Amino acid sequence: MASHGVPRIAPTEARTGQARQKELEKIEEYVDLVAQVNKNIAERHFTIEVLALTSKLLKRNPEDYTVWNHRRLILQHHFKNPPAASAQSQSVSTALSASQQSVLDLITSDLGFLVPLLVAFPKCYWIWNHRIWLLEQSTSHLPAITVRRLWQDELSLVGKMLNRDKRNFHGWNYRRLVVAQLELHSPSDGHADSSDTSRQTSMVETEFIYTTKMINSDLGNFSAWHNRSKLIPRLLDERQADAAARRKMLDAEFDLTQQGLIDPENQSMWFYHQSLMSTLSPECPRHAAIVLDLTNHDRCGYYERELARVKEMLDDYQDCKWVYQALLQYAAVYREVDAGNKACTTTEMRHWLRELQRLDPLRSGRWDDIEKSLGL
Amino acid sequence: MSLVSGPGRGGITEGQLPSELRLYVDKHVTYIQSLDKRKDELEYWLTEHLRLSGLYWGLTALHLLGQPDALPRSEVLDFVISCLQDDGGFAAAPQHDSHMLYTVSGVQILAMLDALDEFDERVSGGREKVARFIANLQHPKTGTFAGDIWGETDTRFLYGALNALSLLGMTNLVDVDKAVEHVQACANSDGGYGTSPGAESHAGQVFTCVGALAIAGRLDLVDRDKLGGWLSERQLSNGGLNGRPEKLEDVCYSWWVVSSLAMIDRLHWISGSKLQEFILKCQDPDHGGISDRPGDMVDVFHTVFGIAGLSLTKYPGLVEVDPI
Repeated sequence: MASHGVPRIAPTEARTGQARQKELEKIEEYVDLVAQVNKNIAERHFTIEVLALTSKLLKRNPEDYTVWNHRRLILQHHFKNPPAASAQSQSVSTALSASQQSVLDLITSDLGFLVPLLVAFPKCYWIWNHRIWLLEQSTSHLPAITVRRLWQDELSLVGKMLNRDKRNFHGWNYRRLVVAQLELHSPSDGHADSSDTSRQTSMVETEFIYTTKMINSDLGNFSAWHNRSKLIPRLLDERQADAAARRKMLDAEFDLTQQGLIDPENQSMWFYHQSLMSTLSPECPRHAAIVLDLTNHDRCGYYERELARVKEMLDDYQDCKWVYQALLQYAAVYREVDAGNKACTTTEMRHWLRELQRLDPLRSGRWDDIEKSLGL
Repeated sequence: MSLVSGPGRGGITEGQLPSELRLYVDKHVTYIQSLDKRKDELEYWLTEHLRLSGLYWGLTALHLLGQPDALPRSEVLDFVISCLQDDGGFAAAPQHDSHMLYTVSGVQILAMLDALDEFDERVSGGREKVARFIANLQHPKTGTFAGDIWGETDTRFLYGALNALSLLGMTNLVDVDKAVEHVQACANSDGGYGTSPGAESHAGQVFTCVGALAIAGRLDLVDRDKLGGWLSERQLSNGGLNGRPEKLEDVCYSWWVVSSLAMIDRLHWISGSKLQEFILKCQDPDHGGISDRPGDMVDVFHTVFGIAGLSLTKYPGLVEVDPI
């Protein structure tokens, strides 16, 4: 797409005659290849040879979405009219028919083609998109157990991708999709009947553990914190957690944020802390809730404890704006629940606001608005 | 008529920055005009798959710079029409396939050139054909939109669909309430929105979701203070904006973040002057164009979003841009 992080280079005029000639040759070669593919597709020559030509093009330019479409037309044609599978691949198979085996071979080989491209271009939408399409095709052409094996391999692939780039949002989206598919094609279900939800096997526990692992290796990985915040309510529901277990979970998460706030500039941590605090609100939707039976008394208890913990940070970090921001924000919410609370005074709140205005002039408009809305 | 949207080649040596912080209007105009004349560069051919959007970005930049006629109108129109496919969608270039992204660009160019009536004259029933192509991509159950017949869904396509249909005056062809429901399902507890339900908040997706809600007249569903807070934290001390917590700054977020802030009346929650400084530092003062970060290669994508960011923050001499 657009160029990101590419350093500026010499202008066109500066290129030598030789370099220029070389570029013109490259252009001719590329344009010829495009024309050749287009002609074959227009004439519906959906052959393996044309597929190889699209591979050549896509390796040079994975952003050309039309070539991906061409590739799918060719594959679709072969899924419908499978060629005889080679004797070698047939021997590997357990219970696949010859035509299923050849579909599987095509899909497996295409998935393999994509791996180096994904590694080289991890932010290219079209490559991820093509991968998902291939796997969807497997569902319509192959037995459930084979489909499941394919998705299982995807889980380890996306694990590797996220190890290379821990924040890649394509990777995280893909991981959620793979998990949803694996839950759908659970091993106990030979027929993969998606309407029978009772047979689905949840992966919420293992995914929760995965976020812990990712967070432990990098406390600033907000993508992992985000996923964790989405998993916890489901995890508690599936565990059929009682009131005590839910409180225990919330406390454990608050304790975890305490560890993370060893670095008070860790923005991810503050956003996660804020998301935990928002589950205390009476307006928190059920699908995001952790503790279900909070009374106002409970709420005040949490506000007091967390305010006290954050206040303590002031001993060491008087110039970290995040501390003041959290204090002011939570104090304001606390005041709404209990106007007469003793945990923080208006004088204190005014002081925190002044500190924010001092430390964070970029967002002065925001602090001024808060000053007005809180009547400070 | 066609126009490269890929990187132009910046002329200054690495690390050298514009000496004077001002907008090099003439240079940018010349840069955009030159994009169509670079057929001797491989990059021109490698970016054909986004030509129509490139044309939209270039044309928008020229409009904001107050030089809407710097590209010849009739050639632009001819090129747009040459991208229309039998299914009613626009492709990025004549030899390509229809896609929502380029259909939106096609409609946006027609609207910008005030050429929708002319389009109907040249292509019988053209407007309705295009609107039906878009409407057919809505998923009836979830309300979201696919990009094309191959089925990828993303809130980018949902926003694009509502944008183009509203320009065509045909939002009645789709289920707007369902689309709004889908946007709501993409909302996160940090106030932002992701590409799909469950996905992490991302400034680009915030723009598409808030933009879609604005077009649907449902900005009442946005938690403005919370979202405004998250968006304002995208500004880094160098004045530039990032797209997610703890990521690098990039000029294109000058559009995604700032237009979102404008839509929810929180534009003053970041420093406009610091942002302007950052954008101006990303210019190539010799050959025109704007890059993602100072010293990098320029391209028309970052050029338009940089200029739009300047316009939103009221940089003098620019035409005011509509944040939606």
